Amino acid sequence: MTTGKFLVRRILQGVVVIWGVVTIMFALRAVSPGDPANLMLAEGASEELIQQVRMEEGLNQPVYVQYLDYVQGMVLGDFGYSWRSNREVEAMVIERIPATVELAVAATIVAIAISIPLGVISATRRNEPADYGATLFSLLGISTPNFWLGLMLILVLGVWAGVFPTGRRPVGLAEAIGTLLQYGYAGDLLTWLKYITLPAITLGTYFTALITRLTRSGMVDELGKPYVTASRAKGLPSVLVRYKHVLRNTMIPIITVLGLQLGTLMGGAVITETVFNWPGLGLRLIDALRIRDWPLMQGIVVFIAIAFVSINIFVDAIYASLDPRVGEE
Amino acid sequence: MISDRVRSNLKTTFTESLLPKVGLLLLVAIVVMAVFAPMLATHDPTRTGYYAEEGAPYPPQGFDYTTQISQEGELQEVTIQSSGEHLLGTNTAGQDVYSRFVYGARVSLLVGFTATVLALLVGVPVGLVAGYYGGRVDDVLMRIADTMLAFPALVLALALIGVFGESPILVPDPFVLAGLADGMPESIPIPGTVTIVAALVIWVWFARVARGEAISIRSEGYVKAARSFGASNGRILAGHVLPNSLTPIIVLATIQIAVIILLEASLAYLGFSGTTLSWGYEIERGQDVLRTRPWVATIPGIGIVLAVISVNLLGDWFRDALDPNIEGEAR
Repeated sequence: MTTGKFLVRRILQGVVVIWGVVTIMFALRAVSPGDPANLMLAEGASEELIQQVRMEEGLNQPVYVQYLDYVQGMVLGDFGYSWRSNREVEAMVIERIPATVELAVAATIVAIAISIPLGVISATRRNEPADYGATLFSLLGISTPNFWLGLMLILVLGVWAGVFPTGRRPVGLAEAIGTLLQYGYAGDLLTWLKYITLPAITLGTYFTALITRLTRSGMVDELGKPYVTASRAKGLPSVLVRYKHVLRNTMIPIITVLGLQLGTLMGGAVITETVFNWPGLGLRLIDALRIRDWPLMQGIVVFIAIAFVSINIFVDAIYASLDPRVGEE
Repeated sequence: MISDRVRSNLKTTFTESLLPKVGLLLLVAIVVMAVFAPMLATHDPTRTGYYAEEGAPYPPQGFDYTTQISQEGELQEVTIQSSGEHLLGTNTAGQDVYSRFVYGARVSLLVGFTATVLALLVGVPVGLVAGYYGGRVDDVLMRIADTMLAFPALVLALALIGVFGESPILVPDPFVLAGLADGMPESIPIPGTVTIVAALVIWVWFARVARGEAISIRSEGYVKAARSFGASNGRILAGHVLPNSLTPIIVLATIQIAVIILLEASLAYLGFSGTTLSWGYEIERGQDVLRTRPWVATIPGIGIVLAVISVNLLGDWFRDALDPNIEGEAR
């Protein structure tokens, strides 16, 4: 199978997965108790008004008609209206994407900046104090619930040391860059940086720990291979061998695992956003869950699924171009 | 099955390295804490209003502690008195933090263990069948698995809680029923829906690993031999494929217990668990009083970290000793 065919197949599989998510969401909504009319209307609304709302939402129609309407809407990019705020779901999703992407990217940067050097040091100085330190750190990192870590960071660095602010962030990245470009004022950007630091560490710690472990074990495996001995024997400096050849070969499996872990990153973002009151998609999902605003919930979940599937296909594409054997399942 | 080689590998790894010992010790300590909770707890973990009854103005802690509390719009310095009665203080509802810490281990371990067993029962057969038969069956089952991976656990949890309710399962306490621990609750609630959700979230990983094993085992010589003797597919699956894929499944199961403990804590923290006797829920309660009573959120977090570390260390030990290729260290 060629790489092209492999990708087409992956995309078709992705479409099936998204259809599955859409269907499960519909099924969950259909069996969930509670009348949406109650959410949309003030308490004590008349029976006529409730019936009118049910009619408008198509809730009096047979389930299969509702399902077809719903799938059709999704395909056309119409996710409906939030039951609570009566705004378009697409707009409510899109306005929250930047904050979540900022957080996810910042967390990934934190994770990669710390974990790769740590993993390399750990692998090249096996059973030395640095290795033990890195092992202990990564063990703690994968074992600490991120909401608790976030609270402890707020307590120690925010409340006690007073280094970082703890409230809701006053400014987003786009705005901060805007003021910098327009007025040459960098203060907003600094504020943004201060507010994103603790959430990024909170969300990034698990991944830092995970990548450190993967880098270490991958490097240890690679370092034992004949080509390393051969390059050293040829007189290549060990730094060059380590970073140019060994680390590069180690990165391939790491990229795949990271792709698979994106769902975890999104789950982590939901909780991190809740702890820090971060105005992203995750916080909106939790708010929607709490009041059972189904159209909004569905919109966010389907969006997350689309993002998850696309990024994994993207990762597969990179992987397939790095390693031609991938397509030949 | 567990071969002699595997057993000797486990032993060598255990004696050579410190971490498996630490992990085993921690796990034993936590299991003892969970099992003997009614003996180790000093107070009924569910009873509220302890400090108010004892006439203390503020919930006490194990040591004197000065903090600022807002009173009538003004910040005032107050000293929180230590209390020998409540070693780790009391929480916002006036419950004993130490006793709730001890009982929290029971809930965490019971949910972790039950959900893992449920996920094994679903995931392993699905994976073995998919891998063994291949083709259309495999395609369908693996797309279902992919869909589950793309689905946030939280949404599943809330929707199922909406349908089935919180369905707490009351687990009776044998010690209290036998009259060995007076004044402790006769049963503790385990969040039933959350246990099901956890199993639904992680069975996929078992299915994937079992599938991979089945694919490699189905072309082994002994499977072909069994087939040539006329053994049925069911017999080959149960008699050859399952026993030979057990090792990586056991390693995965160990790691997944840690994953579930974290998931249960997260759901409880977000208020979607339905049980109030849980480390995660306790942390949520402590969040509001983080500035004035930091111990309320801190103590249960330590419980989660220790429980998860112990299970992870054990998982690492098994993996190092058995060295299967396991994908997915999902959280």
